[in-house]
Amino acid sequence: MLTLSLALALAAAPHDTARAPAPPAAQEGPAITVHHQQAIPVVALRLSILADDPPGYSGAGHLFQHLLLPSLEEQAARVGGHVSVVRGSDAIVYQVVGPATELDYLAGILRSTLRVPTPAGAEMLSALSALAEERNAERETAPQYVRAALRARLFPAEIPAAGTEGAAARLATAPLDRLWSGIYRPERVQVVAVGDVQLDAVRRAFRALPGTPASDAPEAVADTVPALEADTPQATRGWIGSAWSAAEVEPAAVSVTARLLRGYLRRRMTRSAVEVEHWWTHQGQALALVVATPDSLVPAARRTVDGALGTLAGAVTDAGVRDAAASVRRDMLFYARAPERMAELLGEFADRDTGPDAAQRYFAALDAVTADDVRGVLDRLQVGEPAKVYVPPQKIPAAQRR
Amino acid sequence: MILHTPRAALAAALLLASLGGRAAAQDRVFVRPESGTPVVAVQVLVGVGPADEPAAQAGISYLAARAVVEPTRAVLDSLGAHLDVDQQRDAIAFTLTAAPDAWAEASRVLLVALFRDPVDSAATVRQRAALVRELLGREASPADALERERARAVYGADHPWARPAVGTSATVGRVRVAQVDAFLRRNFTPERSVVAVVGPVDEAEALAVLRPHMPEGELRADSVPAATPATEAVSADYNSITTWVSATWRFGADSDVESLRLLAKLALDRVSFGPSRRSVYNSRAEVVQYAGGGEVRLTVVVPPREARQWADRLREALGAYAAEPLSATVFAERLRRYRGLRLLELDLPEARAGAMARAALLGDRGATLADFTRLTADRLQAAARALEPAIIVFLGPEANEGG
Repeated sequence: MLTLSLALALAAAPHDTARAPAPPAAQEGPAITVHHQQAIPVVALRLSILADDPPGYSGAGHLFQHLLLPSLEEQAARVGGHVSVVRGSDAIVYQVVGPATELDYLAGILRSTLRVPTPAGAEMLSALSALAEERNAERETAPQYVRAALRARLFPAEIPAAGTEGAAARLATAPLDRLWSGIYRPERVQVVAVGDVQLDAVRRAFRALPGTPASDAPEAVADTVPALEADTPQATRGWIGSAWSAAEVEPAAVSVTARLLRGYLRRRMTRSAVEVEHWWTHQGQALALVVATPDSLVPAARRTVDGALGTLAGAVTDAGVRDAAASVRRDMLFYARAPERMAELLGEFADRDTGPDAAQRYFAALDAVTADDVRGVLDRLQVGEPAKVYVPPQKIPAAQRR
Repeated sequence: MILHTPRAALAAALLLASLGGRAAAQDRVFVRPESGTPVVAVQVLVGVGPADEPAAQAGISYLAARAVVEPTRAVLDSLGAHLDVDQQRDAIAFTLTAAPDAWAEASRVLLVALFRDPVDSAATVRQRAALVRELLGREASPADALERERARAVYGADHPWARPAVGTSATVGRVRVAQVDAFLRRNFTPERSVVAVVGPVDEAEALAVLRPHMPEGELRADSVPAATPATEAVSADYNSITTWVSATWRFGADSDVESLRLLAKLALDRVSFGPSRRSVYNSRAEVVQYAGGGEVRLTVVVPPREARQWADRLREALGAYAAEPLSATVFAERLRRYRGLRLLELDLPEARAGAMARAALLGDRGATLADFTRLTADRLQAAARALEPAIIVFLGPEANEGG
C-alpha cells in the first residue's frame, strides 16, 4: 500500500502521541497508539487485525468485513458517526469516527467486529456478491489492472483482498467460526486513536477483547490466482507499467526518489499521465511507474520509461532532493488533516510492524535524505529486472467507426 | 439508552469558548490556535457577489476572483499549498490550506494578489474561456436549472440574488478585461473582507502575518434589496422522467440557525428513501445563511405523477415539528446523532475556517464555530414556528401537474 506516513506526529506532536504496548495478557487489551488532538471533540478509532487469510480461503477477511459493515454503519449513525473498512496487504482494518464523548460506544462497535457474525442467507449472498464485484473490478479498467499485474509479479505471495474464484466457492460453504479461527488472535489486534481522548480512556474502552477462538482453522488448500494476462482490459490510451523491487532500501529515500521521478517524468512527458508510487507493505517495498499515453506516443513513452531511472540519476541535485522531501512531508500533513486520515496513516505504520515511533522516524528520515541517498536508491533499483505490464490502446476498425 | 449529555455539553462548550475568547478582540481577523492540527487553514471571505454586479455582467465577481489568483497558482504549488475559490451568494471564499512552515508565505502571496496586484489580462482571458465552458456544462444540468428557478421564486426575478451567483455562459463570455480590472479595484478590498485562521499557529504570529494586508477597522457591509418571494407554487417545465420538488423556507437575521440545521436534518429523515418511501430517487436538505437571514431548503426527486403530493409532504416534514415539541427522550436521541453529524462537518480545518469566516461576515464578533450545546426541544419547535411559509418549486415534465 501507499506510503505516506506520519509526519504529523513529528510536526505536531511527539508529546501528543502516546503508545501502550500490548499487555502480557490478551484480556488486558491490544497494543494502542493514541494521538491526542484537541481541535474539536471528535475521535477516530482504527482497529486492525494483522493477519493473512487462511490458505485456500483468500478473501475471508474481507468477507467478514462485508458481512459486518451494514450493521456497523447503522450503529455508528446513531451517534452521527461513520464507519469504513479496508482489507489491506497488512491487516483487516475497521475504522470509526464520531464524537469523542461517545468513545466507549464507538469502541464497542469496533470490538463487535472481533466476534464471528451469524449472517442470514441473504446477507451471505450479498457479501459474496460484493467480493465478486471487487475481484472483477481489479481486471476491468486499465489503471487498476496495471497495478494489480505489477503487484502480482513483484509480490507473488500476496493474493488480492477480494480473493479468488476458487476460494469464493469454498467461502460460500465453509463454517464461519473455523474461518475466523484462522484469522483472529487477540494479540494480532492493534488500535490507533486520534482525537480528543486520552490513552487511559482508550485502554479502558478496549480492555476486554474476545479470546482465541476454540474452533480449528480450516485445512490449508492451495489458492490459485487466474493469470491477469487473460483479462487484459480495453483502453483508449496505451498503459505502460514498470515496477522495481526496493527490498532493504531506506523507505524515506524511496519516497523521495518516487517524488523526484514523478516530477522529472511529468516535465518530460507533458502529453501523458504519469504516476510514480512507493508501495510499502510487510511483503516488501517497490517503486511503481504507471504511464497512460496517446497511441502515437506509445513507442517514445516506452523508451522514456525504460530509461527513466538512468536518466534521473544524472539529473539529481541537492536542491531537487530537498524540494521533493518537503513536498512529500507537506502532502502527508495535508492528507492527515482530519482525525480519521491521521488514524489511517498512523495505523499503516503500526500494521507494518516497524516498531514504536516508526512514523516519527520516517518523518525525520525524510528530512535527512540526500542526493547521494537517492542515487543509491536508483542504483539498487536498477540491479534487478523490473516487472513490466503493457495495455495497448484499443484499435477500432474503420468500418465500425461512425 | 445511555445519554451522555453532561460530558458532551462540557466538551462542546470548551470548543466554543476556546474560539470566542481569542477572536473577540480582533476586528476582521480571527485566529483559532489548534496545536494538534497538522496544517493551517486560512479563509479569506470577501463580501462581494451578485449584488455588486450589473445584470449584464453577472458572474464578473467569480471571474475576477479566479483571474486574480491564477498567477499565484505556481507559487502556491511550489509551497505545497492548496487554494479553492468558491462563489457564494453574498461573498467569495478563498480557502488556503498549507503546512505550518508554508502557510505564512502562502497567505502573503494570496493577500497581495487579492488586494494589491492588478489583474493579469492573459489570466483573465484564460479564466473567462474556462468558466464559459464550465457554465455551459452546468447549465445543462437539472440541478442547476432547479437552483435558477428556486432563486427566482425566493427572491423575485429582478433581485440580484435571483441571478446565478457565478453568472451565465452568456454574461461571463461578454465581460471584458478592463471591466474585470475596474470591478476588482472597486470591490476586492480588505474593508469588505474577513479572514479566519485555524491550525498550529499562535495569535500573535498570525496577526503579524496578516495585519499588513488587513488593517484594523470595521467590516463594510452593503445592504441588499428586499426580496419579493413568490406567493404561489412555481412550475417549470423540464424534459426529464423525474420531477424535482423543492420547498424553501426563508428566515430572518435573528433566527435560531442551529435549531434550523437540526430541523432540516430531522425533516430530511421524513422524506428520504425508505421502506415506506420507495419512490424517492434522491433527497437533500440544506440550510444556507446570508446577510440578513437565510433559507432552509428541502428537495426530493420523485415520479412526476406524485409531485403535488410530495410538495405537501415536504411542508408537513417541517410543519410536524412546529406543532408540538419532541418528547425529552426522542429529542435526546435525535440530538445525540445531530451532535456527531455537526462535529464531523467540522473535522477538516478548512471547514472550521470557513464556518468562522462566515459567522464573522454575518456580524458574529466571536466567529462562533457551532452552537449546538444549548439546543432544546422547545427551541426546535420555536424555530420551526418562526419560519415563513414554504415556497414550492417544481421542475420536471408537464406530467407533474397530475397526481
